Amino acid sequence: MLLHYIDLSWRSVKNTPVISFLMVFAIAIGIGITMTSLSVYHMMSMDPIPHKSSKIHYPQLQLMDEGNEWNSSDNLPRQLSYQDATNLYNADIDVLSSPSFRSGFSVHLNSPDVKPRMEPARLVNREFFDIFERPFIYGQAWSRDAQDNKPYVAVITKEINDRFFNGENSVGKELYLDNKSYRIVGVTEDWDHHVKYYDVNNGAFNSSESIYIPFTIAPLEEVGTWGNMNGWKHEPLRGYQDLLTSEKLWTQFWVVLENEEQKDAYGRFLMAYMEDQNARGRFQRENFEYKLRNVNEWMEYTEVVSEDNRILVALSFMFLMVCVANILGLLLAKFLRRAPEVGVRRALGASKRQIFLQHIVEVSVIGLAGGLLGIAIAQLGLWGVRTTNSYYDALATMDYTMLLAAPVISLLASFVAGLYPAWLVCKTQPAIYLKSQ
Amino acid sequence: MLKMQNISKVYQTDSVQTHALRDFSLEVNEGEFIAVTGPSGSGKTTFLNMAGLLEPFSSGQYTLDGIDVGGLSDNQRADLRNQKIGFIFQGFNLIPDLNIFENVEVPLRYRGVSSKERKRRIDECLEQVGLASRAKHLPQQLSGGQQQRVAIARALAGNPRFLLADEPTGNLDTLMARQVMELLEEINRNGATIVMVTHDPELARRAPRNIQVVDGQLADFTLYQGKPDSESTRPIASRTTAEV
Repeated sequence: MLLHYIDLSWRSVKNTPVISFLMVFAIAIGIGITMTSLSVYHMMSMDPIPHKSSKIHYPQLQLMDEGNEWNSSDNLPRQLSYQDATNLYNADIDVLSSPSFRSGFSVHLNSPDVKPRMEPARLVNREFFDIFERPFIYGQAWSRDAQDNKPYVAVITKEINDRFFNGENSVGKELYLDNKSYRIVGVTEDWDHHVKYYDVNNGAFNSSESIYIPFTIAPLEEVGTWGNMNGWKHEPLRGYQDLLTSEKLWTQFWVVLENEEQKDAYGRFLMAYMEDQNARGRFQRENFEYKLRNVNEWMEYTEVVSEDNRILVALSFMFLMVCVANILGLLLAKFLRRAPEVGVRRALGASKRQIFLQHIVEVSVIGLAGGLLGIAIAQLGLWGVRTTNSYYDALATMDYTMLLAAPVISLLASFVAGLYPAWLVCKTQPAIYLKSQ
Repeated sequence: MLKMQNISKVYQTDSVQTHALRDFSLEVNEGEFIAVTGPSGSGKTTFLNMAGLLEPFSSGQYTLDGIDVGGLSDNQRADLRNQKIGFIFQGFNLIPDLNIFENVEVPLRYRGVSSKERKRRIDECLEQVGLASRAKHLPQQLSGGQQQRVAIARALAGNPRFLLADEPTGNLDTLMARQVMELLEEINRNGATIVMVTHDPELARRAPRNIQVVDGQLADFTLYQGKPDSESTRPIASRTTAEV
């Protein structure tokens, strides 16, 4: 019977092309607008590393003198000082962790054939690649020995490898960052995330770095940060070494904690560390506090998806409701005009349920067509968004979830629009129309 | 087959109460062919709607083929209509978007008859009304008489035991009307019970039994016996509703 209803729906659409097109177009516009904003929102808020996001944690420490306030909802700074990041990494505790910060260099091959280019880079420790599961095309992360003793090594992404080495295996070759030569030890795939979740402090939707060098390079080459630097204390900085030992906050830190027990143990370690630092006279404080947030908690805390995005999605759904209201009116007109035919069907034995189903199927056919056209309109909308700023390149796209959601939302919307007209027409009293036809 | 006892139908608006049928009682036996006549607005169609379960009645008792239909739900009435009753309307009431085959198929689909069986029955019915070659035509491509024959085929497709016809020849010329009437007589001879509302006294006389509805009541009950054109078709009994 369902196929028969679909057949009847298709005939109905063909017999009333103008009104059917208006309905399909109305729902397509609604779906197009809704899916454009919803897709961007979805990409912004989606879990960037779903199988591991609950294990990767970002520690925050309360290491300010009593009486200082930080501009955050829980009065905790979002970054760590260089000395804290280094201390946490070097602590005798069996966890996978890595400090990092964003910087940048003039990248070249020390050859007149290839133009130098300013590229963002990230200083990390070797564990960074394991924590964030960076897949290597060639080579691997640098060794602990290299990190500690011969840190002029680099891991580059495929993009840099393609540009400077024509995609060939560049492991063992030299790459110049400013005036220093670094030996390439590994080439990774390019990042394909939508949110630069490992460093939301410096633009959550900015492009990722394509060069990675050891964190231990920082004091050797006095590498400055390309990201935010904040502080709570007035400190005269006379040189790079002063910065490294200052209370300035400019590094990020990630640690993998496999389970709640490990998280509790790490929390105890952080408390002990803060008490130890306090005892060393770094700051004056009685109550210590820390937070260990996993990736999704961290993204929520740092408001990666702003309230504006949510409002935009809500507005687009309201627009869809306006479209639904218009479709409801058109459906009412269409279905009620068909009441005489329904009267005949009822007289010939159709139950109210069968009439209702017939019309709901017709509404669904319209909804499905509107959903498919809506996907095309959404693609157009997303293309428009992408052209405004490269920032949206990875965000203004539809993944398979959104591609599936579009027809489902469209069907639901059309179902909402068709419910009342279908209910009204199924209540048709056959006797009224049989004589008058 | 059909037994109505003191059926009343009242249409109520805010200020007006209209009695379309009052204490209407009638018994129709299996295999009968009854013509229902009466002036316009007398309640003939309301009676037909009650008999065909198209409208609920206000009071009284109605038994169709042994089933008391008074307590049936809307869906149960739809089922009963589908199973036991065939309708023929003055305006044919064919669905314009469906071809002849599909129009005849409608009641069978609602009954859940298999595709193969549907085809067999439709072919048989269209053959019976002489329209087998027009199965793929749309209703508007046929003449009025042909459309009414399609409507008859549709009414017959479900093998109903009870056929209700509301002015089946009202929109047809004399020749077409005669053909349709002959078809109904043939169907009646094959065992179907037919109740036909008509304004045409000549057609009414061809039915073995006539009843007249006036002001919502069975005002005159006239029984004919034998063929309509013979001497023996004169009325042999006339009774009021109460007497019936």
